[in-house]
Amino acid sequence: MANIKGTTIRFTAADRFFYSIIDFLMIAVLIIVAIPMWSTITLSFRPNHFIGTNLEGMFLMPWKWSTAAYKALLGNRGFILSFVNSFKILIFGVTTSLFLTIPLAYVLSVKTLPGRKLLNVFILLPYLFNIGMIPAYLVVTKLGLTNHLAAIFLPAAISTYNCLIMRGFFEGIPDELKESARIDGAPEWYVLLRIILPLSKPIIMTIGLYYGVTFWNDFFHAMLYLNDNKLQPLPILLRNILMASGMNEYVEANAFGEASVQAIKAASVFMSAIPMIIAYPFIQKYFTRGTLLGSVKG
Amino acid sequence: MKAMMMKTAAAILLAAGISAPVIASGKTDSGKDKQGSGTVTLQLWYGAAVTEAGPPPADWKALKIIREKLNIDLVLTALPSNEGDQDVKVNAAGAANVLPDLFMVRRDAWLNLVKMGLVAPVDSLYAAMPNRTKIQYDEDSRAFTTIGGKSYGLASPGSIAKNEGLLIRKDWLDKLGLKVPVTTDDLLAVMKAFTFNDPDGNGKADTYGYGAFIEINNFEEGLGRRFDPIMGAFGVAGTWNMTKAGAGLNVRKAEYFDAISYVKKMMDEKVIDPNWMSYKKDDFRGAWKQGRFGVMREQNAAFAAEANYAPFDKNFPNGEWIVIDPPKGPKGKMSVGVYTQAYRIYAVSANAAKQGKGPAIAKLLEWMSSDEGYFLLGWGEKDVNYALDANGVPTPTGLADPNLAWTKPEIQTITQLRNMVYYNGEIELLSRYPTYKAPTSGKTMSALTVMRDMQKRAWTVAIGSDALVPPNADLKRFYEQGVLEFLTGKRELTKTVWTDWVGEFDKMGGLDWEKAGIAKATESGYLK
Repeated sequence: MANIKGTTIRFTAADRFFYSIIDFLMIAVLIIVAIPMWSTITLSFRPNHFIGTNLEGMFLMPWKWSTAAYKALLGNRGFILSFVNSFKILIFGVTTSLFLTIPLAYVLSVKTLPGRKLLNVFILLPYLFNIGMIPAYLVVTKLGLTNHLAAIFLPAAISTYNCLIMRGFFEGIPDELKESARIDGAPEWYVLLRIILPLSKPIIMTIGLYYGVTFWNDFFHAMLYLNDNKLQPLPILLRNILMASGMNEYVEANAFGEASVQAIKAASVFMSAIPMIIAYPFIQKYFTRGTLLGSVKG
Repeated sequence: MKAMMMKTAAAILLAAGISAPVIASGKTDSGKDKQGSGTVTLQLWYGAAVTEAGPPPADWKALKIIREKLNIDLVLTALPSNEGDQDVKVNAAGAANVLPDLFMVRRDAWLNLVKMGLVAPVDSLYAAMPNRTKIQYDEDSRAFTTIGGKSYGLASPGSIAKNEGLLIRKDWLDKLGLKVPVTTDDLLAVMKAFTFNDPDGNGKADTYGYGAFIEINNFEEGLGRRFDPIMGAFGVAGTWNMTKAGAGLNVRKAEYFDAISYVKKMMDEKVIDPNWMSYKKDDFRGAWKQGRFGVMREQNAAFAAEANYAPFDKNFPNGEWIVIDPPKGPKGKMSVGVYTQAYRIYAVSANAAKQGKGPAIAKLLEWMSSDEGYFLLGWGEKDVNYALDANGVPTPTGLADPNLAWTKPEIQTITQLRNMVYYNGEIELLSRYPTYKAPTSGKTMSALTVMRDMQKRAWTVAIGSDALVPPNADLKRFYEQGVLEFLTGKRELTKTVWTDWVGEFDKMGGLDWEKAGIAKATESGYLK
């Protein structure tokens, strides 16, 4: 028996068996996802003098943990600098992307727009046929964006994929709502701001999250366009840390002192994931609705 | 209220969106000379010494001296730590014709840039920096960057050759009453004892004879350098045989089968750490510090530098590793592995040459090799980051503030360009590898002594083998996977199956690869 929103539902034996299987599968998935995460977290706290296998390390008691890796990371000037840069890219990137994607998606969703089909094809083309790295590099260079954080998010400010998802969502909003505003003489920007946006929180949050994750993790563009090392974001530093022990032939020195290389790597991976781990629970409810609403029409 | 919030949010969005590109920090690259000031701006893309440490600080003394004394405004960019990423960055800038004035570049990428005419000849620079040329650019170095009679790059000495060796746990040998192994048979017997006779005396079957991981590069294909002391016993260390008599790919030689059979025996007898195929470098280094195995090939500083040895010392105060000769094979052959002459190429872009920046580049590099530049870039400020001992060797002891010593993790930023001035001279080696007392055991240790010992052992000359044509991706995969498949039992290791596999390897392009390699080695005079 289960009580769902005040209604009592009687489960049959078959139901119970079915839900047991589902529960078992969910727990299995949870374990599969949790083990590598737990392994990374415990590795980041493992003291340099620890003796034992990785498995033993995962069960090391917390009072034997060492925070040396975190102390070393937080005391590293490059880490703080990179974290701030990544944060700037995240904030400005998501803002710019939403600011540009929302109006475009809305315009494309207006069924009476003259040349709408052509416009859609025009927007779809670069999505289907990527221009490639060199032309993009040339454009960014000629625009003078090299060595600006904007080089990371401005060329990628509108993702066609995200725009099409958003367009689908806007198309799903009943036309009557828009029509009523238009009949009252509202211009299109007013319809967008006062009618569409208040109803679109789930999709804005969802697309914002997509953009956020993309910008937060962007390594490649930062590597290409940011020559000033003071502008380099977290993924670059993370990559340098992960590659360091393999590349640094003068292994008598490292930037993190006492902490073990493995712990530093694990700690840096964990810390770089923290903002996204924090953001997900807040956005999750919108995320589910946003993706589902965008997919069902009619 | 809600409407008000929406309006405010929309206004913030609008303002932020419009201002984002402007606000987002940064500045445009400026390669132009500062008009009228006589100052030349030089963009330098360098290979950082400690990539994870961050760039030199804005108030770095070296930048100030370079600006004031040399009239050069030096704009620094650290290249990514990964070689593939370095290539992408350099190639993209090359394709857009916006290469920096002076930049470090890997040989393969450099060759392409030379072909495309994006790199300038540097012959005239050598004469303009006599001191640096004497220290850094000898005949071999110039030959390394010479194409069609012109030198297109400045090749500085790279990593120290022969700085690895075969190490064995002497305390385990002593405990089990064993002698240092001399032949491959002895080695197998010792590895068995290390695996099954509880050499650490903890009552657990938790030790192994040999420890390794797969560390492959273009001149150490197949199983990679950690197995070269074994392969060397059969005369097939490294990818290539660089002798005139036997030039060619080692994998195509009959002895390779014998060497692989020996490694297979190590696996069958379970005397090798079973994690070796999944270990990465850090795992491997963590494992020997935890006492998992008793024989390995390791680099001198990775083994004996103070910070690296400390965990082992703490875990096993009575533990002792010693460098030994590589084992002798059935035909009396022995080798720790192959060695090449590594160089770091710094190239001058054609644009920089057109803008007349050559003399400024030479002036900068010559200053780097002066006493002032050498010590400042290599160790920092005298009496702040280092002191000189009685022999004139930089030392971190005796400083007013020991936290500012050049060896401290947080000070690594000020020596990020040290690879541009180091040339593996005696002073560098003495300061980088000082003698110290291990904190727990009190043992006297020196990575330099260890290195000297390693260099005395038997090695195989393979100079130039790192500059030979690499195999295509499919062939490389077939080679590396194939060898492992024989070891894991996926392919049966018999003479017939092996011969068939080599035939398949040839058909896939192995034979052509060998021919191309021999041709290049002959043409370049690499065969000895």
